[in-house]
Amino acid sequence: MDALIVIFLSGLISLFVAFTKKPILVLLTSSIGILAAIGLFIAQWNNPVTLFSYEGLEFTNSAILYSIAVCIFGLFSILVGYNIYSKQPEHTGEYISLMVFSLVGAVCMLAFTDMFMFFLGLEILSIPIYVMAGTKKSDLRSSEASLKYFLMGAFATGVLLFGIAWTYGATGSFKLTEIATAISTASETGQSSILYVGILLILASFLFKVGAAPFHFWSPDVYEGSPNTVTGFMAAVVKLGAFGAFYKIFNVAFPEVHGFWAPAIMVLAVVTMFIGNLSALSQVHFKRLLAYSSITHVGYALLTIITVSSNSEANLWVYLFGYGFSIIALVTIAQLLNDDEDKIDAFKGLAKRSPFLAAVAVLSLLSLAGVPPLIGFFGKYLVFSEAFTQYPILVIVAIANSGIGVYYYLKTIIAIFQKEDVSEEKIEIPSLQVVVLSICALTILVGGLVLSQYKFL
Amino acid sequence: MEILLIPSLFALLALFVPGKVVRVFGLVGGLASVILTCVLVCKFQQNGGQAVTFFELAQNNFGFTSKMGYDGIGLFMIILTNVITFIILLSNFNREVAQNKLFTAMLFLMQAALLGVFTSMDGLLFYIFWEISLIPIFIIALSFGGSDRKRTLTKFFIYTFVGSLAMLASLIAIKSYATSFAIEDLMAVELSSKVAFWIFGGFFLAFAIKIPLFPFHTWQPSTYSTAPMAGTMLLSALMLKMALYGMIRWMVPLAPEALNDFQYPIIVLGIIGVVYAGVIAIKQSDMKRLFAFASISHVGLIAAGIIIFDKENLTAALIQMFNHSLVAVGLFLSVDILEKRMGTRKLEELGGVAKLAPKFGFMFAALALASVSVPFTSGFIGEFLLLKGLYSYHWVVGLIAGTTLVLGAVYTLRAYQLSMYGAPKMASFEDLTWNEWLAYFIIMAIIVIVGVCPQMIIDTVGPSIDQLLESYKISNTIIK
Repeated sequence: MDALIVIFLSGLISLFVAFTKKPILVLLTSSIGILAAIGLFIAQWNNPVTLFSYEGLEFTNSAILYSIAVCIFGLFSILVGYNIYSKQPEHTGEYISLMVFSLVGAVCMLAFTDMFMFFLGLEILSIPIYVMAGTKKSDLRSSEASLKYFLMGAFATGVLLFGIAWTYGATGSFKLTEIATAISTASETGQSSILYVGILLILASFLFKVGAAPFHFWSPDVYEGSPNTVTGFMAAVVKLGAFGAFYKIFNVAFPEVHGFWAPAIMVLAVVTMFIGNLSALSQVHFKRLLAYSSITHVGYALLTIITVSSNSEANLWVYLFGYGFSIIALVTIAQLLNDDEDKIDAFKGLAKRSPFLAAVAVLSLLSLAGVPPLIGFFGKYLVFSEAFTQYPILVIVAIANSGIGVYYYLKTIIAIFQKEDVSEEKIEIPSLQVVVLSICALTILVGGLVLSQYKFL
Repeated sequence: MEILLIPSLFALLALFVPGKVVRVFGLVGGLASVILTCVLVCKFQQNGGQAVTFFELAQNNFGFTSKMGYDGIGLFMIILTNVITFIILLSNFNREVAQNKLFTAMLFLMQAALLGVFTSMDGLLFYIFWEISLIPIFIIALSFGGSDRKRTLTKFFIYTFVGSLAMLASLIAIKSYATSFAIEDLMAVELSSKVAFWIFGGFFLAFAIKIPLFPFHTWQPSTYSTAPMAGTMLLSALMLKMALYGMIRWMVPLAPEALNDFQYPIIVLGIIGVVYAGVIAIKQSDMKRLFAFASISHVGLIAAGIIIFDKENLTAALIQMFNHSLVAVGLFLSVDILEKRMGTRKLEELGGVAKLAPKFGFMFAALALASVSVPFTSGFIGEFLLLKGLYSYHWVVGLIAGTTLVLGAVYTLRAYQLSMYGAPKMASFEDLTWNEWLAYFIIMAIIVIVGVCPQMIIDTVGPSIDQLLESYKISNTIIK
């Protein structure tokens, strides 16, 4: 709770510090705030501190774990975006504090105990991103992304509210635990059909937020149009937040009717994997490729939502944690390549132009493809092996999909090592980027091996 | 543990060593591993062939133990890996690529991954090293390979990666019945024959692609001919042995219940490979492709021998694996020497080299003879025992497999004759440099020593094979 306040205050302070027109101060206040919040989160592991007697937020260990990941990715997004933002000193404060406010929303979304707080968190998370997606003001695609994301997002939020209302009508409560009790008491007499409508509506809006089929159409355009930093932020932070909440609502409030919603997610997971993979095969734009590949990854991650197991939540975390590092590294590299058209061809000859960037890019791509011992493999392995006893066929479909996916990651890797007709120009890497990319590379390389040795939740 | 740490360390250091000394550094690294291997062999003999476990962590929450160790078979593969890696480094010494940091680093990384594969005593760890080994070879072939490498290597990578995923599925499936990934636990699992069939099938797909067996071989000739010399050597001499080793150590012992269902089809595929690839090899004009097909032909026989799964055949298969590695390295070195100095590896554009370069002519001839399994070479022992085993399995199988001797003689000697004899088609041909000569010498020495006294190998691997068969029999009788 106090960590949440610290993040919020650091965002607020950075907003005011921005009046000095010194971008570096904004960067410092926001980073220190987020780092302090991470510290507070770690300190509260196993002994949550409650300020006030407010019950809407509860920082359990799983909420803390997810929040830490969200803070790390938020911090990275701010660090790698700084060079771009600081070119417009009068706007730096807005950009950075919008990101920090969005983080506040993400943390709310991970720690909520009732639907009301969840809705607030979702809106606090989303609204700054609608704005941030349009920050490349000279670029039409950026404005398009912003508008598209806003319209679709607002619509999905409406659907969500509608779903929450129906659920409230069926169970008489906003609190997750009370909803669960109401459902289990009603299970003897038969559930009211109002509840099912509510669950379906909530499910639809979640699928929209995480970008799963058939609600995925916004994501390629939005990913492509947004500035790279924002794309990274969306892929890492928003996914983590949305998935954390997704898992919590469906496995805390609705476990009793698992038999109703699990088959729906099962089918959609398969559809999502195939749509993402098959569309990604022929992409020429790098960020569109990432967008479609992220759709596929959502398909894999959906497996954890339907797997009934005490490990699922931790597995989901490991999966998205690894995914976030890869995606942030890749969008950072794409940003450094500075290709306006954002073609995969821009990666050609990267091995010559900058061995460091090439190494990080290859590691990230291989991690996304699920090559051991990188963190992406362990995430995938944990998700698949946990789901295997319950859904063997589904896991085999998912594994087959990993096979399809390797093609487009490989295409990029081959471009990186290309020697013919490439530019010889070396790439300047600012020191902030070096730090972030090194941390990403290190985590991708050994994170999986280390994380697999512990049991967190 | 040091057996893995040394190559990893050299791989890392190779990136920071000054450019001029990289090749010397590489050679030192290769030698260090060889010396270490000798020490390990001595220790192993002193302890009377006890299986060694050198690394183990506490089992984590999903049953990953990271247990590593070796018995006779593992040690044998370690020797093979380290010797072959040293020979590859040695034969590359005067090539341009040896000066490259990336190349040297990747070669050592490859060595480390291979050693990891051969010493893993944990299913997931085996899979991890198995997949790691794909990366360095891919990067070597991609950075230093010939024309059309994009398409070829994409095919290669996807082919093998998909195969590996099938193995991953099998591992996940078998793990759902076991408490941990340690090999003893996995072997203790009793499967219904239907489940065993699918698990065996997943492993088989991975191994059949990597070996490659007949219908899964289409990636192989083009990849071999695109890859640079070192890449081809690594692929044929070591990577493919991972799959054969995997069959012995993992596929059959983990799902012995399905052996009966798969034995016949695998033997048939192996034999088809022997004849089919042998016939295609005869018609090749590109020497590298020719030896690539020859490789398919030889390993088809080994795979067929392994799947019979008795002591004699396993021993023979291991000897033949050893022999095949050495011969393949030697032959691909010969092809590369011709290609480097003549600028072509087309048979019709070569000829008369033996007159100009007698040392090279002699060494190449000796290798060609070893390749067609002349007595007193290791090829003779391995091939003879394998054919004998196949014959006693069924005489028709033995008979068809026996054509490998004829076909092998035809394509190898044809290649040798067309390239080395006849009127010289070039003015001059530089004879072997010292490092090439030394590489050939080491290869030939080992081939002849093993050919004369194969008992060394049989003694090393024998007790371990007995142990393997015993545990396999126990699990098999429980089922029955």
